[in-house]
Amino acid sequence: MPTRRVVIVGGGTAGWMTAAALAKLLPGRCDVHLVESEAIGIVGVGEATLPHIRAFNERLGIDESDFMAATRATFKLGIEFVDWGRVGDSYIHPFGTFGPGGGEVDFHQFWLRLRQQGIAVPDLDRFSMACTMARMNRFALPSRDSRRLDSTFGYAYQFDATLYAPYLRRIAEGMGARRTEGRIVTVHRDGETGDVTSVQLESGEKVEGDLFVDCSGFVSLLLDKTLNVPFQDWSKWLLNDRATAMPCRTEGQVTPYTGVIAMPYGWRWRIPLQHRTGNGYVYSSQFLSDEDAAQALIGAVEGERIAEPRVLRFKAGRREKSWVKNCVGVGLASGFLEPLESTSIYLIQAAITALLELFPEKKVSAIDRDEFNRLIDLEYDRIRDFLILHYHATERADTPYWDYVRTMDIPDSLAEKMDLFRRRGRVVKYREGVFLDASWVAVYLGQRVIPQGHDLRADAPSAESLIAGMQKLVREIQGLSSGMEEHSAYLRRYCPMKEAA
Amino acid sequence: MIAPGTGERMRDVLVVGGGLLGWSAAAALRRKIPALRITVLPLPPPVDALAERLSSTLPSIVEFHRDIGMSDGDALLRANCGFRLGTEFQHWDGPLRSYVHAYDRYGQAFGTASFHIHWVRQAQAGSTPPFDHYSPAAAMARAGRFVLPEADPAHPLAHFEYGLALDAQAYPQMMRAYALHLGAVERPGGFKGVRIDGESGFIAAVALDDGNEVKADLFVDCTGPRALLRGQLDRAFEDWSRWLPCDRLLFADAAPVADPSPLDRAIAHGAGWRWVAQSRSRTSHGFAYASSELSDDKAARTLRGHAIADPLAPIALRQGRRPQPWLRNCVALGDAATMIEPLEWTNLHLAHSAIDRLVAMMPDRDCAPVELWDYNRQCAAESDRVRDFLALHYAASNRDEPFWRRMRDVAPPESLAHTMRLFAERGRLPFYEDETFARDSWLAVLLGQGIIPRRTDPLIDSVPLAQSEQAMAALRDGIARMVPTLPTQAEFLTHLQRQAAR
Repeated sequence: MPTRRVVIVGGGTAGWMTAAALAKLLPGRCDVHLVESEAIGIVGVGEATLPHIRAFNERLGIDESDFMAATRATFKLGIEFVDWGRVGDSYIHPFGTFGPGGGEVDFHQFWLRLRQQGIAVPDLDRFSMACTMARMNRFALPSRDSRRLDSTFGYAYQFDATLYAPYLRRIAEGMGARRTEGRIVTVHRDGETGDVTSVQLESGEKVEGDLFVDCSGFVSLLLDKTLNVPFQDWSKWLLNDRATAMPCRTEGQVTPYTGVIAMPYGWRWRIPLQHRTGNGYVYSSQFLSDEDAAQALIGAVEGERIAEPRVLRFKAGRREKSWVKNCVGVGLASGFLEPLESTSIYLIQAAITALLELFPEKKVSAIDRDEFNRLIDLEYDRIRDFLILHYHATERADTPYWDYVRTMDIPDSLAEKMDLFRRRGRVVKYREGVFLDASWVAVYLGQRVIPQGHDLRADAPSAESLIAGMQKLVREIQGLSSGMEEHSAYLRRYCPMKEAA
Repeated sequence: MIAPGTGERMRDVLVVGGGLLGWSAAAALRRKIPALRITVLPLPPPVDALAERLSSTLPSIVEFHRDIGMSDGDALLRANCGFRLGTEFQHWDGPLRSYVHAYDRYGQAFGTASFHIHWVRQAQAGSTPPFDHYSPAAAMARAGRFVLPEADPAHPLAHFEYGLALDAQAYPQMMRAYALHLGAVERPGGFKGVRIDGESGFIAAVALDDGNEVKADLFVDCTGPRALLRGQLDRAFEDWSRWLPCDRLLFADAAPVADPSPLDRAIAHGAGWRWVAQSRSRTSHGFAYASSELSDDKAARTLRGHAIADPLAPIALRQGRRPQPWLRNCVALGDAATMIEPLEWTNLHLAHSAIDRLVAMMPDRDCAPVELWDYNRQCAAESDRVRDFLALHYAASNRDEPFWRRMRDVAPPESLAHTMRLFAERGRLPFYEDETFARDSWLAVLLGQGIIPRRTDPLIDSVPLAQSEQAMAALRDGIARMVPTLPTQAEFLTHLQRQAAR
């Protein structure tokens, strides 16, 4: 089998995830060579993740507790959104279902029906294992028996991304991937085809390859700087173009969920790790200066600062194509969506999965490339709509920032989805894609998009039987959750981090 | 009169059409949304309503029955239903070739790659038995045998699904009785016309030939291709004849055989294809052909020769779909929404699927456009993929006649071209929402018609060729040993009847 020389441009999370996956899963098909420079900092995006990452780690044969100890990780059952619909509101977007799952009529339809009948029913998140566990600060691994209620949640991790890359590097190098240290100064291309043939380092060394993976982050060395692939700008819907990040000591709970707190000109994250809490303020520079953002963040965090605020700049959108000629963009080099729903590492993973499935021969076929681009565009476009929903579905009018997003024109694809939900709580169904029904329901209802009607099939059972069923469900969820270990205690037992050297 | 925008609850539904489709819709609506008052105007189905006429059905009918609370066994035996496992396609990929499309898992994935990649690699390396030799249900069907799927997932017969072979008289009667039992009301009468409200454009009432009219909030049109109600609102139509060229159908019924095969046959012909489907009540023969290639007389003679029975008058078929099966307060089901040839037996399946959707999406009386938009979008996505699946049989044929050569030269719909392109390149099947046929069905037809991917997925490298061959041989041997021990369909039906009698 002919091997292909794959050159990965840039280390960091995207680079080492790609290197480890290719080296581990396509041995014999490719020689992996990663070029990175320690002089260039890594963004280290996405300390909070989505459940999909577990499948990625599993494919690489990674032991969960070892990985969690090494990256000082905590468990994540969802995201708590604070102050989004109105100041004072709070809801959790859980990884998991509302109600027992399954069944032909979605659980929230029965819930809507009773509410519309004027019957007092508990908040929807009381019917979610993940929300309940999160609020009670408990954790246990989900059951594998799909008939059980404690199988109805998923989980992800909150971890130190700057430790994940080195962890993957050990795996990749163990599988034969090579690493070269150095800053790239020139990209050489074939005069006829325009394909990239090699990258040249400051030292003069040339690294040649057949396929190049652009993991150079915002710099987008190959896709943007070399191939000039146009960027689709989404900043008219997703205004934020700055983040200021600052870790602090943990004073509050080590919560099994990420905090996302709306701010006057954006939002703030709270990501508890084992040894510290990550914080950041994502905002729009049109409305807020970097200094004021840093001050606002310092004023908001719970514990002593561990570092000074550090500013990141970005723009929401994606490259019109993520794979052009023999260059594939993975991660920030191909696009950026703010970490509101922790999608950064997911998008890296989606690109890697597609690359593995569409891995080219010596000569890149347009068929593979087009399919890759179709899949990646779909991922970006669906997440885009989901993110815009968070801004648009608000009653906040306390700053010009919120006035703008509340009243802005939104993409038709989202406007139709929202209309449909407002009618009778219907969620446009996809069988594939990152955010499924329960996610949309959580955000709609959590941000006061309230349906006028409901699915008429939910009228079939009697109100009494529904109420009794719901009471039982809440009791069971409550009982199962309170029987679980406290989150920090679980971490101490399962995956305690090694003391920093 | 209905005032759009009032948001009042839907109450009265009139189903127009008294065949199996109208009664199935009535039963499902009553069962799932008991607050609806359902009236059925039982017009006899026209001869060109294919969803009513074809006795072969896809596995989704079993799900439909379960959904509306109709237990499979007893009622179906009384309605004289039989079982079917799939279709044998003869001579599509050139003469003397045949393949079986069963509703089954073909082979078993091992290592990091799906089964068909192993098969493709073996095929590229030399030879391997045809793809359908790895489907237990296909082998069972070829041998004329039948059992129900096993519950234990480790059993080789755990992964197939089966369709039903319906009795054209007994089945609609049973569905009618069931709908009436659930509380649907029959309103006998002849159709005279519809009265449309001038302001809203909604249908206000259906006028009957006895001088009365029936008002309703929603009108469900199950009147076949002419779409007596829905056709009054607009005539927009998306034509598929470029890709599905048959525009004539002939039917001929012959006497039933004692032990009907659970495998029906679709046999390619110089100007179309014909079928033979055995059920407990008849042996159905049919012929779909292009009138530009073959005269009706010649077609009738051909079919008579095979069926040893006189064909009925030819039916004209215009394949395609309404862009909006649901407009205002009228929704078209079955042939009133989509007209498609019987290849792969999708007609009733599409109708059932639309009924499920109608139930799930039932709007208020104002039939808000945003809700209808979602309904129509899903119907379109589903029927376009069914169109693709059928068009594949033509696009990938290997026959020599001018008709077939021409079909190969027609550019397929883009979504099908996408599937064929990716598959031919590296055996990959792209994912589409609202897909009727499972991946293994696509594989059965793609590989059955001789589209062999140019290269294999690199993920298979970790399994050596010899190890694949060993595992594949074990699968084949297991199937070959098992099939002769299974009962024939007649034996199995007798067994079921005895059980029911107990």
